[in-house]
Amino acid sequence: MNDITLKIREIATRLLQNGQVDIFMGWEKGQEEYTTRPFFARRVEDVEKLIFNEYSIHNLSNDLLKYRDGQEKIGIVVKGCDSRGIVRLLQDGQIKRQRLYIVGVACPGMKDPLQAVKDNSGFFPATTSGELARKCNDCIEPNPVIYDELIGDKQTPRVGQERFKLVKDIENMSADQRYEFFEDVFSRCIRCYACRQVCVACNCRTCIFDEMKPQWVGRETSISDNFMYHLVRASHMAGRCIECGECERVCPVNIPLMLINQKLIKDVNKFFGPYEAGMVYIEGAKPPLSSYQENDPDNFL
Amino acid sequence: MSEHKCNCENPLVPGVVEVIDIKDETPDVKSFFVRSIGGGVPFDVMPGQLGMVSLLPVGEGMYSVSWQEEQEYLHFAIKRVGLMTNELHRIEVGHQLGVRGPYGNGFPVEECKGKDMLFIAGGIGLAPLRSFIKYCFKHRQDYGKIQIIYGSRSYADLCFKDELFEKWPQEKDTEVYITIDNPEEGWDGHVGFVPAYLEEINPAAAGKIAVVCGPPVMIKFVLQSLEKMGYTDEQVISTLEMRMKCGIGKCGRCNVGSQYICLDGPVFNLAQLKQLPPEW
Amino acid sequence: MPILSKSKIKDVLNQLSQNAELFVPLARGDESGFYSWNSYQEGSDRLMLDALNVLLPPKSIVFPQTERMYSFTGNGTTVEIKETFESPQPRIIFGLRACDAAAIACFDDVFLTMGFVDSFYQARRDNTTIVAHACYQPGANCFCEAMGVDPTEPVNADVIIRDTGDSYIWESKTDKGEKLSAALGALLENKEAKSPQLQPFKQQANYEGVAEKLKGMFEDPMWEELASTCQTCGICTYVCPSCYCFDIQVKSWGDEGYRFRCYDSCMYSEYTLMAGGHNPRSNEQERFRNRFLHKLQFFSERYGKPLCTGCGRCIVACPVGINIVQIINQVKEADTSVRA
Repeated sequence: MNDITLKIREIATRLLQNGQVDIFMGWEKGQEEYTTRPFFARRVEDVEKLIFNEYSIHNLSNDLLKYRDGQEKIGIVVKGCDSRGIVRLLQDGQIKRQRLYIVGVACPGMKDPLQAVKDNSGFFPATTSGELARKCNDCIEPNPVIYDELIGDKQTPRVGQERFKLVKDIENMSADQRYEFFEDVFSRCIRCYACRQVCVACNCRTCIFDEMKPQWVGRETSISDNFMYHLVRASHMAGRCIECGECERVCPVNIPLMLINQKLIKDVNKFFGPYEAGMVYIEGAKPPLSSYQENDPDNFL
Repeated sequence: MSEHKCNCENPLVPGVVEVIDIKDETPDVKSFFVRSIGGGVPFDVMPGQLGMVSLLPVGEGMYSVSWQEEQEYLHFAIKRVGLMTNELHRIEVGHQLGVRGPYGNGFPVEECKGKDMLFIAGGIGLAPLRSFIKYCFKHRQDYGKIQIIYGSRSYADLCFKDELFEKWPQEKDTEVYITIDNPEEGWDGHVGFVPAYLEEINPAAAGKIAVVCGPPVMIKFVLQSLEKMGYTDEQVISTLEMRMKCGIGKCGRCNVGSQYICLDGPVFNLAQLKQLPPEW
Repeated sequence: MPILSKSKIKDVLNQLSQNAELFVPLARGDESGFYSWNSYQEGSDRLMLDALNVLLPPKSIVFPQTERMYSFTGNGTTVEIKETFESPQPRIIFGLRACDAAAIACFDDVFLTMGFVDSFYQARRDNTTIVAHACYQPGANCFCEAMGVDPTEPVNADVIIRDTGDSYIWESKTDKGEKLSAALGALLENKEAKSPQLQPFKQQANYEGVAEKLKGMFEDPMWEELASTCQTCGICTYVCPSCYCFDIQVKSWGDEGYRFRCYDSCMYSEYTLMAGGHNPRSNEQERFRNRFLHKLQFFSERYGKPLCTGCGRCIVACPVGINIVQIINQVKEADTSVRA
């Protein structure tokens, strides 16, 4: 991975030096060997801080939203899943392709710095760490799907035959069992909105949960308000989640958010597919559930 | 920090009042006159202090008390800007509301005694100043010359018109200057923004206290003008507005630096304001 | 001295939960936090007294994430306040660390001083007994000592327990503590035991002079840089034992309803958004700066101590690795002479 780091620095230096970009988004080393975190280089002197290692997991595409109203040109390093996030933003009209210089890295799978910090925190019973992050075991596309420059050898997907195993397990439950399961997981939610904040598909300028006139969803951490939050969020993810798994990774109370997203992925594929969100960017193309036609069936409303 | 007193046992639980009169001030400002069920005021306020008014099923909002008429009623002048105030503007006389307070430090009415007073307001910003203005008239001998400079977007948007045009100009040693932002038919008064009008009138700084309230952008320009005109930081008083929820300095959001607007404010002099981060 | 043998810990917890709701640190599923001992499930839950701490702080016991304040009825134009919910229920927090005890002391400053007393908080606080757990082995992200917290002498404790290996020294500090000791009776033995030695801290934060120095750093460019990767989620505020900012909202249906308060986060933009649309802290950088200045400067100016007790939870849970120790040290080391 050291080669990749050097290559990234070389590209970043070139782009910043010749003014091709104003900001270059990558990762830097944190305090510990495992606390790699996002870093945005603005000057050539910053470039030496950039690294790429087995903990460069954070999906940076979401950070582009901070610059959506600006004119800055942005260089950004993306792995397979992150690159699908870029497609999400382009499809949603959030940023212009011309403003981006995309450096793709074929991803060998990442470890999760958050998990590593937790393992070393003393706040949880001792666990075995050092494995691939959970989200990386479900990876269907480790290779960037959109880029200006590609680094690293092509990787093979890690997900096996059992892509929707957990979803199927839940589908096989009785309605009561399912309710009990979801009541348990959603009752934990502390409504910190981290799942929304790290989500590249959550790019609405005013989120429905922040809307006060009217207030669609109450602010109580009660089972009904929590359900409402997660159901509304899930319905906004249908056909839009690009499976980067960041929501589930950052959740401080370990709500299995990707389980919900995967159910949506499975169903959208079944009813409107074949379709995988964010796998290809075709200008002007309308993915499922993003367009409306007069003859759409609407008898369910 | 001043001592704070609340009339209720639990400062976050409102008392119930009834609306005894409602008056349209402008197309989007109404005056609400409230008194406790069975008579009397829910609490005594000093000029510039605040009350938390709640339309119980809808929400609560913090408003400056525009006047306390003895033990008869509290007067709130409230502009329609959001969900809660929209609903509030629909109620009729006889409706019951929750009110808790008084909150905030209020104007330094004692320290201003013996001074000439210059009141500068924009839009609904006259509502808090009005309590001080009326206090000065009530204790006329304690204060010197009174000058009031007030501006709004249009004639229709001027609050308290009967007082502005009829009553106040007749008070002893009092001048009332009114301006609107843009010319309009039937208006032969001054046209232009408040800061410019202030510089035009150019009231001398000596022996004077200037009290300013209005939209943040107006306040910022008026403060600059006053400084230019030779007013010292101690001679200029302003009231700040932030989003508030608890009113008692606990919930956190109305802080500017380490000061809570609901508790330590809303009234600050310019010297105090300059100690605070410019985040209001 | 009174000694509590670890072999009797469950008996002690059972005994204490007879007359009060008892909260203990547990690992439950993938979570860890303070939970009612009555909900303890043998086998699946794990008592975390031997661990450093738990991720979710005990603040919700004295200051719940959602707390009903009062109910009302309204019939058209008339309204009536029905009931005020000031909880008189006795509670015991067992095994909280000095950082979390110090955070409750910060709450006491906020809710019980400076003019108004918050009756809802006072009712809970008065009815809460604290059995604090002295700390001798700082964890990877601990820096309480740098924030003025003595890990071995938790403040606000009614009882302090000290781990000696196979037992705890039971040190009663207040009348409330004496009552607990009496209730435990023979479950406490009388033996000699020696307190452990405090081990060195791995995190080195230097907070000395930082509050004063920050006064001149409001416009420092470091805030833009530090805030650039912040996701402005609320994790740090919700896992923080000392963050207390709250919102007041209403739930109503038909002729009735109730007003409640719930945790709010200064990281959210609506936190300061006024009804008319003006927002004094509309951008991420302003909110980020306000949070750290509140912790490190503003609170200190108002109450004489920082609003950070060095527990390290925000360092553990931040999705982008923002580290308050690094920020403190960066302020400490900043050369402000060239910037002013």
